[in-house]
Amino acid sequence: MFNYYLRLALLSIRRNPILSGLMVAAIALGIGASMTTITVNYLMSSNPIPQKSEQLYYVQVDSWDPNNPAEEPNEPPDQLTWTDANNLYAAQKAERQVIMATTAAVVEPPSQDAKPFNAYIRLTTNEFFPMFDVPFLYGGHWQASADKGREQVVVLSRKSNDKIFGGENSVGRSLRLAGRQFTVVGVLESWYPAPKFYDVGTGAFDEPEDLYIPFLLKEELQLPNGGNTNCWKTPEEDSFAGFLRSECIHYQMWVELPNEQDKQAYLAFLNNYANEQKALGRFSRPLNNRLSDVMQWMENRQVVTDDARVMLWLSLMFLVVCLLNTVGLLLAKFSGKSAEIGLRRAIGASRQALFYQHLVETACIGLTGGIAGLALAYLGLLGIGSLYGSFADNLTSLDINMVLLALLLSLISSIAAGLYPTWRACSIAPASQLKSQ
Amino acid sequence: MLNMQNVTKIFRTDLVETRALSDFNLHVKEGEFVTVTGPSGSGKTTFLNIAGLLESFDDGVYDLDGQNVRHLNDTQRSRLRNEKIGFIFQSFNLIPDLDLFDNVDVPLRYRGFNSSERKRRIERCLELVGLANRMKHLPAQLSGGQQQRVAIARALAGEPRFLLADEPTGNLDSKMAHSVMQLLKDINDEGTTIVMVTHDPSLAREAKRNIFVKDGKVSDVTHITASTPEQVASISASGACHV
Amino acid sequence: MLPFSSWEIGPIFRAMTRNKVGAVLIALQVAVTMCIIVNSVHILMERTEQMARDSGIDEANSFYLSSTGFADDFNDQVVIQTDLDAIRALPGVIDAMQINAIPISGGGWSMGLQTQPGAEFEGVGTAVYMVDDHVLNTLDLELIAGEAFQPSDIRWRERSQRDWPAEIIITRALTENLFPEQSYQDTVGKTLYINDDEPVIIKGIIDKLQAPWVGWERLENAMLSPEQTLFSSSMYFVRTEPGRLDELMPAVEQMLADSNKGRVVRGLRSMQETRERTYRRDQAMIKILTTVMITLTLVTALGIVGLASFNVNRRRKQIGTRRALGASQASVLRYFMLENFLISSIGVILGAVLTVGLNIYLVQSLGLTKLHWWLIPVGMLTLWLVGQLAVLGPARRATATSPAIATRTV
Ligand SMILES: Nc1ncnc2c1ncn2[C@@H]1O[C@H](COP(=O)(O)OP(=O)(O)OP(=O)(O)O)[C@@H](O)[C@H]1O
Ligand SMILES: [Mg+2]
Repeated sequence: MFNYYLRLALLSIRRNPILSGLMVAAIALGIGASMTTITVNYLMSSNPIPQKSEQLYYVQVDSWDPNNPAEEPNEPPDQLTWTDANNLYAAQKAERQVIMATTAAVVEPPSQDAKPFNAYIRLTTNEFFPMFDVPFLYGGHWQASADKGREQVVVLSRKSNDKIFGGENSVGRSLRLAGRQFTVVGVLESWYPAPKFYDVGTGAFDEPEDLYIPFLLKEELQLPNGGNTNCWKTPEEDSFAGFLRSECIHYQMWVELPNEQDKQAYLAFLNNYANEQKALGRFSRPLNNRLSDVMQWMENRQVVTDDARVMLWLSLMFLVVCLLNTVGLLLAKFSGKSAEIGLRRAIGASRQALFYQHLVETACIGLTGGIAGLALAYLGLLGIGSLYGSFADNLTSLDINMVLLALLLSLISSIAAGLYPTWRACSIAPASQLKSQ
Repeated sequence: MLNMQNVTKIFRTDLVETRALSDFNLHVKEGEFVTVTGPSGSGKTTFLNIAGLLESFDDGVYDLDGQNVRHLNDTQRSRLRNEKIGFIFQSFNLIPDLDLFDNVDVPLRYRGFNSSERKRRIERCLELVGLANRMKHLPAQLSGGQQQRVAIARALAGEPRFLLADEPTGNLDSKMAHSVMQLLKDINDEGTTIVMVTHDPSLAREAKRNIFVKDGKVSDVTHITASTPEQVASISASGACHV
Repeated sequence: MLPFSSWEIGPIFRAMTRNKVGAVLIALQVAVTMCIIVNSVHILMERTEQMARDSGIDEANSFYLSSTGFADDFNDQVVIQTDLDAIRALPGVIDAMQINAIPISGGGWSMGLQTQPGAEFEGVGTAVYMVDDHVLNTLDLELIAGEAFQPSDIRWRERSQRDWPAEIIITRALTENLFPEQSYQDTVGKTLYINDDEPVIIKGIIDKLQAPWVGWERLENAMLSPEQTLFSSSMYFVRTEPGRLDELMPAVEQMLADSNKGRVVRGLRSMQETRERTYRRDQAMIKILTTVMITLTLVTALGIVGLASFNVNRRRKQIGTRRALGASQASVLRYFMLENFLISSIGVILGAVLTVGLNIYLVQSLGLTKLHWWLIPVGMLTLWLVGQLAVLGPARRATATSPAIATRTV
C-alpha cells in the first residue's frame, strides 16, 4: 500500500509541478536559513569539553575598587591579580588547578631557513594539559618541578612544530624564545576547542596559542602582557616587579573539582582567602567570590554573540513564513483534488487511507525540501564563513547531528504544515462532490 | 431587436476545424419568446453565446438593438451584457463562495446601482422565485431547482430587455420545468425578449416561435399562435420583479 | 469611472470569510514578513550608521606595521630613530611616526582624565595615543585650538614607566565631555588630572580622532601624549601620497626587514583593511540581513502568486459567470487586487503589532535601539505593494478568462 501511495504522491507532484516546486523551494529556503543559523548558534554554544565541563570551574575573587564594581551589577572582576593567582595556586586546594596568561615573544628556529617569527604564547602551569584533556602527538607536559624551578621548557602546538621543525618529533630539541634557550618537551595533536573555553577574553573562537611555557617565566623573562589588562588603581612602583605586585588583573585560574562537596569546600577556601586578604588591607569589597563551570562561564562571557541570536530569531521566523506558505499551497493543492477525493471516498476509500495517501505526499515534499535545504544550509555556512573570515572558521561546519536535525526539522515541519490541509482534504464528504456546484 | 445575418463561427483546434455556425440567419423581434431546439452539437449554445456577446464570431453581421456589435471592445461588450442581457445557464453557475443575496447582487454591482436600490431589487427578485427566506444560504445548501430559481432571479435583477437561457430546465423534473417555463412566460408578457435553448419539445411548444437548428444553420421555424396554459404548481408569478 | 458600489468590498470580504484559512495564511505570512523586514531594515540602518562614522584620519592612504627586536644587541631607541628617518625619506611618503595603538583597530590603551585631583572623583575615559611631533601631518588631523607638539616636547617612555608628559592634545569631543559648560577654545591651557592626581595641561585641541574600540560609547574621546615608546614592539604608522599605498607597503616592510636582521617585522596592514576587519561582523550582518529580506520577500510574493493562481484556476467558472453577467476585464482585475488588498491590510496591521513586539524584545534582551516610528508605515506600504504586484500576474490571467466558459465548463 505504501508503494501505491508513493506512486500517487509522485503523480500528484508531477501533475502540479509549479505548485510542488514552490512548496519544495519554500521548505528548502526555510530549512536552509534556519539550519545555517542554528548551526552557528549550536557551535557557538556547544560544550567544548563535555566529558568534564561540570567539574572545571573558573575562579573569580573580588579584588576590585571599593567604590565601584568591576562590572555592573556587582560582578567580580573577570581575571585575577598576579598576587592572587600565585597565592591561590600555591594553596593547591583543588584536585587540579591551573593559572595562566598570554604573552608574545619572538621565536628563532634552530634551522637557518626558518625565519624568526612573533609567537603567541600561553603561560601556564603543568596541569593545564591533563585538566583540559589536551592531546599530545609527541612527548608530554612538563612536571610541577619545572613550574617551580622556572625551567625553560616549551610545549609546541602541532602547527608551530610543523613551522619550526618541519613536523618532526622535536622532543628534546631546543629553540630560542625571547632571547633564551628553551627545550621542547612535548608537541600537541591538532587541538581546536570551540569555543576556546579556557580563555575567551581575546576571542572565543580564536585559535589556541602557538607555544606553552611555565607560568612563572612571566616574571623571570619579564614577558609583556597579551590579552586584556585592567587596573582600578595605578601600580605603585615603576618597575616590572611593581607591575606584578599591583592590583592590575590579567591572569586566569581554573580548578578541577570532582563533586559538589569539593566545590563547596573550595568556595569556603576562597572566602577564607578573601578574609585573610581583607586583614592585609586588600579586598575592601563585600565577599563576592565565584566558581563557574565551563558552560556557566561561557554564558557569563556571552560567547554566543547577540548577532547570532538575532539571526537565529529572524531565521526561525523565516521558517515560519515558509511553513505558512507551504500550508497555503498544500491547501490549494489538495482542495484542487477535492473532486478526486470525493470520488475515491464514493468508491470506498476510508478516510484513514486517504489521510495516509496525502501524508505520504506531504512527507515527500518535505523531505525533498529538507535535502535541498541542507544544500542551502551548506552554502549558507560557506557564505557566513567567507563573510566573517577567521572568526567563523570553527563555526561553520555541518556535523552529522546537524544533518539529522535538518532532515528531522524538515520532515516535522512539512508534516505539521501538511496536517491541516490533509485533514481538510480527507473530511470532504463523498456526496458533496456529486452535487453540481 | 436581434438580427443575425450569415453569422459564421469556426472553432479551430490543432487539427480540426469545427463550423459551429455557418451562415446563421435569425431575426428576433422585441417582445418575442423564441425557443431553440436541435440535435446535440448542432450549434445552439454557440448561437446563444454569440447572441449574448460571450463569444466573438468569424463572419457575418450581428445587430443587437440596431447596433452592430462586431467591433465593440471588451468593455463595451461587458456593458451591453450587463445592461441589456440576462443569462440563465444550464448548470446554474452560482458563485459558491457567495450567499444568495450576494449572488443576485453580482450583476447589480457592475451596473452601479446604489445599495438601497440593489437591496430592493434583490429582495423583490428572490421573493419572485420564492426564495426570499433563504437569502443568507449558500448555493450548496439548495436543491438543483432552487439553485436554478436563484439563477433566474439573478438574470432578472438587472431588468434585462433580452433574456438568454441555455437549457434552463435541463436539470429539473418536468413539473419544476414547467413552472420555470411559466415564470419565463410571465416575464415575457411583461415585455422581455427571451431566447431559450431546450431539448424538451413540450416546452418548445409553449413559446411563440420555435427555431430548429441543424449543422449550424436555422433549418426550420415553427410559429405557435396559441400557447397552452398549464397549471403552475410551485411558483405563482403574479408579476415579474420589475420595479 | 464606475461608481463606488461596483467595488465589491462587502461581498469580497464575505466570500473571504468563507475561505478563511487561505486568507489567514496569507495575512500571517505578510505579518511575519513585515515584522522581519522592518526589524532587519532597522538593524541594517543602525549598522550602516555606525560604519559611516569618520575615524578622523586619512584612512585611504595610510598603513602601519610593527617591528620586534630580539637580538641581544638590539637598541630600540637607535633603531626607531633610524627607521623613522628612512621611512620619511622615501619618495611618496607624506609622513610617518611611531604610535602605540591604531584607531578603530580594536586594541589600545585607555586612561581616565578628571578636572579635579583625587581618587574620589570620577574620570572621563579616553583612548591614549603616544605620538611624536609628526602626528598632525601623519594622521591628517586638524588642530582647531592651541598649539601642536614641538620636537622638544617628545620624550621616551620605558616599559613600566607610570608618569605622564606635562602637556597633551585632546579631541574636541573629549574636552566637551570634560568641560560641558565651556566652549572648546577656552579649555586650552587648563589642567587635567590623570592617575587621579597627576596634572597634565591641555596644549591643543584637535577636531576629530576616534579611539581603537568602535563599540565603545566614548569612541570620540582620544588624547595625544607626546612620547615615543620603548616597549618590546614598536609600531610605525605611515601616510603616503594618494595612490602610492600599494607600492609603498611592501617597500617599507622590505626596507625594515633588510635594515636590521635582529628583529621581526610583522603586522603590515592598511587602514582600509583595518576598517574592513573591524566592521566585518557588521558588514556580514548587513549582507545576511539583506539576503534574508530579499529571499523572504520573494517567498512571500511567490506564496501569494501560487495561491492567487490557484484561486484563479479554481474560480475560472465563477469568473466566466461574472463576465457573462457583465463584469468587464477591469472589474475582474479589480476584484482580485481588492481581495489581496484586504488580506494584506489585515496582514500589515498584525505585522505592525508583531514588528513593535519583536523590536521591544530585541531592545530588552539584545541591546538593540528602538525602531524609528516611520519604518512601520513604510513597511506596511511596501508589503501592500509587494502583495499587489504579486497578485497582478494571476489577476491578469483571470481577466483573460472567456465569458463563454460559463456555458461550456461542466
Ligand atoms: N471551445 C470549442 N472548441 C472546439 N469546438 C467547439 C467548442 N465549443 C463547441 N465546439 C463545437 O461546436 C459545435 C457546436 O457546439 P454547441 O455547444 O453549440 O452545440 P449544442 O447545439 O449546444 O449541443 P448540445 O445540445 O449538446 O448542448 C460542436 O460540434 C462542438 O464540438
Ligand atoms: Mg449546448
